[in-house]
Amino acid sequence: MDGGGDKQATGSGAAAAEPAASLPRTGAQHLLDALQAEGVDTIFGYPGGAIMPVYDALVDSTLKHILVRHEQGAALAADGYARASGRVGVCMATSGPGATNLLTGLANAYLDSVPMIAITGQVPTSLMGTDAFQEVDVFGMSLPVVKHSYIVRRAEDVYAVVREAFAIAREGRPGPVLIDLPKDVANARAVARAVRRVTRAAPSPHELRFAEARALLSHAKKPLLYVGGGVGIGNAERELREFARLTGIPAVSTLKGLGACDPDEAHYLGMLGMHGNPAANYAVQECDLLIVAGARFDDRATGRLASFAPEARVIHLDADPAEIGKLRACDVGLVGDLRDLLPRLVHPVAIRAWQRRCRVLKQQHAWRYDAPGEGIYAPALLKQLSEAGGNRLIVASDVGQHQMWVAQHWRVPYTAAHLSSGGLGTMGYGLPAAIGAQLARPGSTVVCVSGDGSIMMNVQELATLRRYGIPVKIVLLDNSSLGMVRQWQELFFEKRYSEVDLSDNPDFAEVARAFGIPAFAIERRDEVEGAVQRLLREPGPLFCHVKIDARENVWPLVPPGKSNGEMMGCAA
Amino acid sequence: MTCSLELALDRAEGALLRVLGTIERRGWNVVAVNAATHADAYAVRVTLDGARDAQILCRQLERLVDVRQVRLVGADEAARCA
Repeated sequence: MDGGGDKQATGSGAAAAEPAASLPRTGAQHLLDALQAEGVDTIFGYPGGAIMPVYDALVDSTLKHILVRHEQGAALAADGYARASGRVGVCMATSGPGATNLLTGLANAYLDSVPMIAITGQVPTSLMGTDAFQEVDVFGMSLPVVKHSYIVRRAEDVYAVVREAFAIAREGRPGPVLIDLPKDVANARAVARAVRRVTRAAPSPHELRFAEARALLSHAKKPLLYVGGGVGIGNAERELREFARLTGIPAVSTLKGLGACDPDEAHYLGMLGMHGNPAANYAVQECDLLIVAGARFDDRATGRLASFAPEARVIHLDADPAEIGKLRACDVGLVGDLRDLLPRLVHPVAIRAWQRRCRVLKQQHAWRYDAPGEGIYAPALLKQLSEAGGNRLIVASDVGQHQMWVAQHWRVPYTAAHLSSGGLGTMGYGLPAAIGAQLARPGSTVVCVSGDGSIMMNVQELATLRRYGIPVKIVLLDNSSLGMVRQWQELFFEKRYSEVDLSDNPDFAEVARAFGIPAFAIERRDEVEGAVQRLLREPGPLFCHVKIDARENVWPLVPPGKSNGEMMGCAA
Repeated sequence: MTCSLELALDRAEGALLRVLGTIERRGWNVVAVNAATHADAYAVRVTLDGARDAQILCRQLERLVDVRQVRLVGADEAARCA
């Protein structure tokens, strides 16, 4: 591994950012000044007692505040905003239950490395530690799921802390930063202190490491690119595609890496892992060199780690030095900005036989859409919708079987066009994330693909769609059950179904209409084309309730504890 | 297997909690802790027990914003740093 180093030695240059005003202003005003200085235009939040000074200052601000209907919706909408825009998402809540409701969203952003600022009100400093009304130690509760966090105890610090927090959220491997603001600090007046944040220089590996990596490439007969979410997060899609084009090395992607590779590239084999394309999984098992770009050997991608890519040497490229060697030893670790690393790794390879082998695998294991029956086959619907909408679509998926069908069958043209809760697997992510994405990218058509379990986790955000007229299209795949859990109970728990039946679901189209969202339902295959056209044509929010067969499973499936080469539902 | 870490931290709210929490969450047992303040910094020595790679833990600690420096010390250093 190379490219790390002592923090103090790599520190370079204080951020030159002066407070907006030299006159005393309240902590709340300093907070909003700093958000504006960071170029923030949209905040997702929900008011309450301890955060009231900030909401009072908002009245005089030009910042756009989106009132969600649950604080978890605010955090997940900020996440969707960040992923779709590449900018830092901002959410805000009051102390106590408001703050605890943000935590799932913080954990979601932490596990998927999403830059986010979460601002929480806190009881006055004199009451902190007294079990005051709506007091919880959100600073302590959130420690495992934030990149960094602050309790701001002096009004003069607010502006600088917010500016520092943005720099931390963005730099290196991004992540969420929490700022807990006691009410008395928000009300107090002070002159803001200067920003002192020292930025960390990105490491750059020694040329010797590249020489070692290129030597591995020279000797490889079956090299394979294993592409993760770090490529999109690091804005390195162009460099990744150029590397793949120049070398001709076949590629597989993780869930979060979808869109990094050109989906139409001949040597791209699709997603690997538990529900990956068999061609991708077999290629990983056969390869003799893995070039890992911004991926972290997550268990859903690797299956049984000890038998993952058993013949492969490993070159691991990542922005985070702590990922190198964490789960799989590597032969060469390169830490830094993928935009710099990938071009320096380009090297001629002689792999025609391997390319042919991968093309054969790809043809043998191409997805099929000729499912029998008259009912709607969800994979076919998703493929049809994504191809009809083309590059203008952004899909925000919820969590469950439909999430895997989206990953398998949606054509993802670039990484920010596919939002999915990969690390935390947060049911309820889809709708708020779609709201955030649509506000970040008003020129795109944002589709939320959800399930009948997931939609109910944050169904209240239909009111947010209605309030702001946000034109998100919701495609609800309803199998009247918690499908993924049902599938596992069927396969691994001897069909002992436990608490997965949702046949008493409400009429979802009626629910949507009650919120003021136009809605329609389909259940026959011949209704799909009309539904796709309507979803792509109508300008406002629209809810499409799709009834599907409850017995449908996601295939293939790598059983728990098995190698990726041992897929159920796949002919070898 | 035991090893020890010497850390220099910013004297910031939560810095000690972050370090000890990271050590435990990443699969190590804390055997002993000695911490002192020096001007604007904490000097901390932690003795650990665990089966994972201590170099990985060092990098997980180094990426914490409050951590200025981490040094792996003790009898097992040579074996684990190899």
